[in-house]
Amino acid sequence: MHPKTADRIATVFFWTIGLITLSILLFIILEIFGRGLLTALKPSFFWGQPKTDAPGGGVRPMLFSSIYLACLTILISLPISLGAAIYMNEFARRGRFTNFIRFCLDSLATLPSIVFGIFGMTLFVIRLRWSYCLLAGACTLALLNLPIFLRSTEEALRQVPQTYREASMSLGSTRWATIRKVVLPTAMPGIITGAILPIGRIMGESAAVIYTTGLFVNFLPRSPLDPAAPLAGYIWYAQTEAWVPDYRQIVNGGAALLLIIVFLINYLARKLAKVYSEKKTLGGI
Amino acid sequence: MKSNLEVENLIVEKDKEVGKEMAKLGNKIEIRDLSMYYDSFKVLENITMSIPCRSIVALIGPSGCGKSSLLRCINRMNDLIPNSKVEGEILLDGENIYNPSCEVIELRRRVGMVFQKPNPFPKSVYDNVSFGPQVMGIDNKKEMDEIVEASLKKAALWDEVKDKLRTSALSLSGGQQQRLCIARALAVQPEVILFDEPCSALDPVATQKIEDLLIELKENYTIVIVTHNMQQAARISDITAFLLMEVQGEPGRLIEYSDTNKIFTNPSDYRTERYITGRFG
Repeated sequence: MHPKTADRIATVFFWTIGLITLSILLFIILEIFGRGLLTALKPSFFWGQPKTDAPGGGVRPMLFSSIYLACLTILISLPISLGAAIYMNEFARRGRFTNFIRFCLDSLATLPSIVFGIFGMTLFVIRLRWSYCLLAGACTLALLNLPIFLRSTEEALRQVPQTYREASMSLGSTRWATIRKVVLPTAMPGIITGAILPIGRIMGESAAVIYTTGLFVNFLPRSPLDPAAPLAGYIWYAQTEAWVPDYRQIVNGGAALLLIIVFLINYLARKLAKVYSEKKTLGGI
Repeated sequence: MKSNLEVENLIVEKDKEVGKEMAKLGNKIEIRDLSMYYDSFKVLENITMSIPCRSIVALIGPSGCGKSSLLRCINRMNDLIPNSKVEGEILLDGENIYNPSCEVIELRRRVGMVFQKPNPFPKSVYDNVSFGPQVMGIDNKKEMDEIVEASLKKAALWDEVKDKLRTSALSLSGGQQQRLCIARALAVQPEVILFDEPCSALDPVATQKIEDLLIELKENYTIVIVTHNMQQAARISDITAFLLMEVQGEPGRLIEYSDTNKIFTNPSDYRTERYITGRFG
């Protein structure tokens, strides 16, 4: 075949695949918004009280639960994954031990979330007698997110040029001073993005929260030991078990609301990382 | 025109002078029987050389002969590479830096380093220079301002950056960045400064500035520089060390170590002569 013809065929081929992928994504988004956007944007829905027996219930406690749960999860998993990533990238020598840790993490990352849910229920809810509560859910989700968090944090640390570390060490700083004053500030945009992006996943996770936080509440949880009902779990609950006649609307509206939140969070993550790196290159650290 | 013999005599005379001067000043660094390994691979073998106070010593040789490795032994930067090992000793003011009692942090403060590619931190000009003193524990603002100004002046950069101390170091040109790195190294008041091909990423004008600066710095500091550029070695150094890995896989050895004039006009070893006349490497 003539190289030019081959090139043209390849171009068309990959364009087509790209367009197909894009249209599938677009179809999903439009489908969700088409069914639920109007419901999601109704104040009586996203800011209203849920009802157990009549139509027209809202999801305010669920929305609040989701946000509370996400913050709690980040709060628990960020220090752990940051510490572990610093250890793996700055202190541990690459060898059998770190390979073993990575292998475990990769295995953990591919485990279905329902397994985490059952584990969380067995350990936190039953064994530790926390009952169904936000903390149990947050701990479970922190475990679920640890591999993803750790990978992104490690990647952010690895992006810091080795010459920065060398320069710092050659000036007589200790390893810790180098990490604190050079490595972490330089890696911060990557760490921030890495910490915010999984929030979308935390909010969208249902299997792991069904068994740990609870499914229905009609009050706003206050303490981490209060039961809660994150939006994604509530969608599942409304679809399968609720008695309200307008459960379809709740499901569709909830899905659209989740999608909006995820979009917002991703946008925020990009924005924050950009602001931070701009500030950094201006010498603002 | 002078005859060869006359030239040689002249050089010998100069050698003697240089020798006397060296003896007067004493040696800042003495490397004795130094061998170095990465894993089981021997990179350097039996290097012995004395580096006099307040002089510029150039390390030349083809790529892979171990120049940079040798340089990085002097401030123990090789410690950062896992499985590197050193035999022999390096005396700094008569004390072996590979003694277990040697404080590596203090050693690196005394022996500064400037790297091949300018590597200022992604911070402001000021914060780059103040980094070292700050790590050492200086937190007095006025004192810090003085250190920063003095260091930038010594690095011949003050006039160019005095109005933009708060801007990012990354906005400076390559040559300015490298002089900033020199200022950063000077800020912790080192006694020795190691330069690892400091001009290889710079244009000729910026290179010229760095070279002038090095000659100025020689008044107060002992300088060891690795360079690929033989003209550079000839222009600025007092003593030149020629290292060579003769066969691939063998360690690098010190072939010749003598006064720069002698190395470039009348080398004792045929391999040195072949290298400096550009027949290999």
